Amino acid sequence: MTFLQPWLLVALPLVALPLIIHLINQRRFQTVQWAAMRFLLAARAMSSGYSKLRHWLIMLLRMLAVAAVILAIGRPLSRGWLALAGGARPDTAIVVLDRSPSMQARDPATPETKLATGRRQLAETLATLAPQRCLLVEGDKLVEVPAAALVDLPAAGPVAAAADIPGMLQAAYDHIRDNAAGTAEVWICSDGRTNDWALEDGGWAGLRDAFAKLPQQVRFQLVAFDAAPAGNVAVRVTEARLERRGEARELLVSVVATRQDSGDPITLPLKFELGGVSTAVEVELAGREAVLANHALPLGRGESARGWGRVSIPADTCAADNEFYFVFDEPPPRLALVVAEEAAAGRVLELAASIPPSKELVARAESVPRAGLATAPWAEAAALIWQGPLPQGDEAKLVDEFVARGGQAIFFPPESADGATFAGVSWGEWLAHPQPLRPEQWRSDEDILANTLASGALPVGELEVQRSCGLGGEIVPLATLADGLPLVARVPDGRGITFCATLPRPRDSSLASEGIVLYAILQRLIERGLEPLAGARQIDAGPAASELLAAATADARWACVAGPAGSSGAEAGWQAGVYEAAGRLVAINRPPAEDVAAIAAPERIDGLFRGLAYTRVEGRAGRGDSIVQEIWRAFLIAMLLALVGEGLLSLPRRRVATPVIPALAEAAA
Amino acid sequence: MLSDRQPRSFLEPAVLARLSGVPLLARRPMVGNVSGRHASPHRGSSVEFAEYRKYVPGDDLRRLDWRAFGRSDRFYVKEYEADTNLRLVLVLDTSGSMAFGSTKPAAQAGPQPLVKLDYARRICGALGYLASQQGDAVGIACAAERIVRTLPPRRSPAHLRLVFDVLDEARPQGTTGLCEVLHEIAETIRQRALVAIVSDLFADPEELAGAFGHLKFRRHDVAVFHLLDPQEMAFTFQRPTRFVDLEGGAAIFADPIEIADRYHTAVTAYLESLRRIVLEKGIDYQRVLTDEPYEQVLARFLVGRAAARGLR
Repeated sequence: MTFLQPWLLVALPLVALPLIIHLINQRRFQTVQWAAMRFLLAARAMSSGYSKLRHWLIMLLRMLAVAAVILAIGRPLSRGWLALAGGARPDTAIVVLDRSPSMQARDPATPETKLATGRRQLAETLATLAPQRCLLVEGDKLVEVPAAALVDLPAAGPVAAAADIPGMLQAAYDHIRDNAAGTAEVWICSDGRTNDWALEDGGWAGLRDAFAKLPQQVRFQLVAFDAAPAGNVAVRVTEARLERRGEARELLVSVVATRQDSGDPITLPLKFELGGVSTAVEVELAGREAVLANHALPLGRGESARGWGRVSIPADTCAADNEFYFVFDEPPPRLALVVAEEAAAGRVLELAASIPPSKELVARAESVPRAGLATAPWAEAAALIWQGPLPQGDEAKLVDEFVARGGQAIFFPPESADGATFAGVSWGEWLAHPQPLRPEQWRSDEDILANTLASGALPVGELEVQRSCGLGGEIVPLATLADGLPLVARVPDGRGITFCATLPRPRDSSLASEGIVLYAILQRLIERGLEPLAGARQIDAGPAASELLAAATADARWACVAGPAGSSGAEAGWQAGVYEAAGRLVAINRPPAEDVAAIAAPERIDGLFRGLAYTRVEGRAGRGDSIVQEIWRAFLIAMLLALVGEGLLSLPRRRVATPVIPALAEAAA
Repeated sequence: MLSDRQPRSFLEPAVLARLSGVPLLARRPMVGNVSGRHASPHRGSSVEFAEYRKYVPGDDLRRLDWRAFGRSDRFYVKEYEADTNLRLVLVLDTSGSMAFGSTKPAAQAGPQPLVKLDYARRICGALGYLASQQGDAVGIACAAERIVRTLPPRRSPAHLRLVFDVLDEARPQGTTGLCEVLHEIAETIRQRALVAIVSDLFADPEELAGAFGHLKFRRHDVAVFHLLDPQEMAFTFQRPTRFVDLEGGAAIFADPIEIADRYHTAVTAYLESLRRIVLEKGIDYQRVLTDEPYEQVLARFLVGRAAARGLR
């Protein structure tokens, strides 16, 4: 139990006061010369079980009354509606708010969302607790805020990005470690979505251990709004592409509607807004998902090929996933720069890079000699295919700049290793394999060797490698040969730098003859490299979007052209909307996981805090009462009840009237 | 008749004067040795007709009822009740428990409360005086664990002074042996007597029943003045108290508030059994709270007995 005035509890020994008074009274007896001893002896001999019990009950009730008074003036707080946690007023309260779109869900009976309820309850709670400092975790930093401001602070408002609960807790830990001297209490308000909590993240154990080792006492209070929103449907645009039909163009939009529970079939009206024109189409949602593929929206002749639109569905229990922004534009040319010292290998690489995946697209591979790197069209290129010694000096600088602006680079080994290092990776010696090796493991779930959209696996395992070049440095293998040698790897910092440890020559590997894998690798890299070049981009709300919008030059600032209020300014990139700068469009929406992520079981989240001072409080959207309430009234009532009980027990149960008067009357008669 | 020059604290002339208007009568026929005002089992020469009896030679011809002879032509002799005197035996309980007193009569000066023995002295003194005044013999027995002092019933005023001396000198001490004393008295008093017991009766009721039965078996008229202090009945102590036995027993520590109910239960049970005993044995029982004026108690006693004059 928590007390606002815990120091008053030093008076708790006064609970023994009735006992002491009783003992003193026993010592202060009087002595009486008494004649009717036979009655006293008879009274003592009678059964006194109830009398003794009553005596002790009276004593107990008196002690309870004293204890209740002391506890009441200590201003006790109730934590949660059922649970009670130990502790006193914290020095620092750190608020970790899950502001993800799923927290916009509400109970059908109330207009207040989970997030609004949580903010209000936290504001009331912290106002009651009155810690010395109240800090709100914003991304990876903490800002001091008044507790009452949590209700209307924009930084505590809803966003379209997923919450990074481990990241925010890490920020809280860093702050406590570096600054907080006293006790700290971390208040987490979340609906427990698995994507927000990253339950499989290996960093949880380290974070838990780090908190446990802190010298300060840190308590965690989770306000869990883990009730699934009933009947909620989320809408998402999976693709928006232009297609020419003769002279006319039309926009093909693919939409998917999902819901968490497979309830009764419903007819879902989809509303498309494009260029100020609204159209509607109905889809049948029978199970958990309904797909509307390539819904054609005609574009006028004079209409620009670049634009944005919005798909929305009628309001339901979660407003944040009822609309989705999309942008479209003519795809940029798929230009790949090929730098190769081996002509044979260069030809294969050029060929694989220059074949467009669709007849609508234009693909080009431009061979660039190393001497002409400075004049190469870096700004238009999506990918750099490099075979030969790793770039050094000015060459490395050019490649670094290219990668930094979003270009993708893949390096193939030179004929002879020179020990040069780029991005922390260097080529080793060539290894000849008497028996061709096949890749045994590769990442089929993500990255450039991932399965196709139709879930078909790339034939990576059919490749045969006769010679492979060693790789030194810190790498993340994407495909590994049978003897553990890396075949395809990338650097771990997330930049677009990939290494392939063999060459597409017949004496080295079957990359050329089994050209599907090589083609998929290069085209996927080109596809990625095109993203920053595209006139219209679709990105998830979050730090990456915020960084993109913040990286504006003086002559081209991102401006919000569509989206809810507050989509600009500091919250830009965290809110859904459409932004434009220098003729480029960006649509920012919630991450896909927000639509499909399940709510984690309470025990899984509780397990994350195993060994720490942790309390879980069940929250419900629209709930009016406070998480923490002063309950001194309850103690006063308990005191009154104890006193009343004591009074009742102190009353003689049944006065035995002596028959003096009746007997005298009888004698007189 | 009373020529005692020594002042007696337990005698109040005004009270005695008021009480002397009502005779002290026995409820059973007495066998006295002189004429008196009490019924006798024998026929005598009083004015109260008793019965007719057939004349037998030798009867006093003056007692023939000639009118009866005229009506029936037979000789009948009229017989009358005989009146005799009374032997009053006062049994005064002088055990230690009689030293208890919590009340102070309004008339009494000084800080000392009226103990039960003082109250008993007044009753005994008044009864003795009244009996002596009407020519009855008065004796006394002081009872503690045994008979500590005794005087046989005698009619002379000098003997009454001796009785008063005994009352004066009686001191509360020792344990209660009332039942044994009553048995002894029943055995030692040969002729019928009015046995007036003045005691708090702190004895086993069954033993008391035996003692009363013994007295009744000896055809004694038994009157009991059961003295109880109001505090012994009400038990209104508030603070934890150490009760020291006036008769020398072990002390008891008790919280009166806690034990009061059970104390009252015990008192009630005791009084109820006592009531049953006195009804069964035909005892003239007077329960007396010591805050009640003794004059009132004696008046009630005397009037009650006058209403039920002894049968032959």
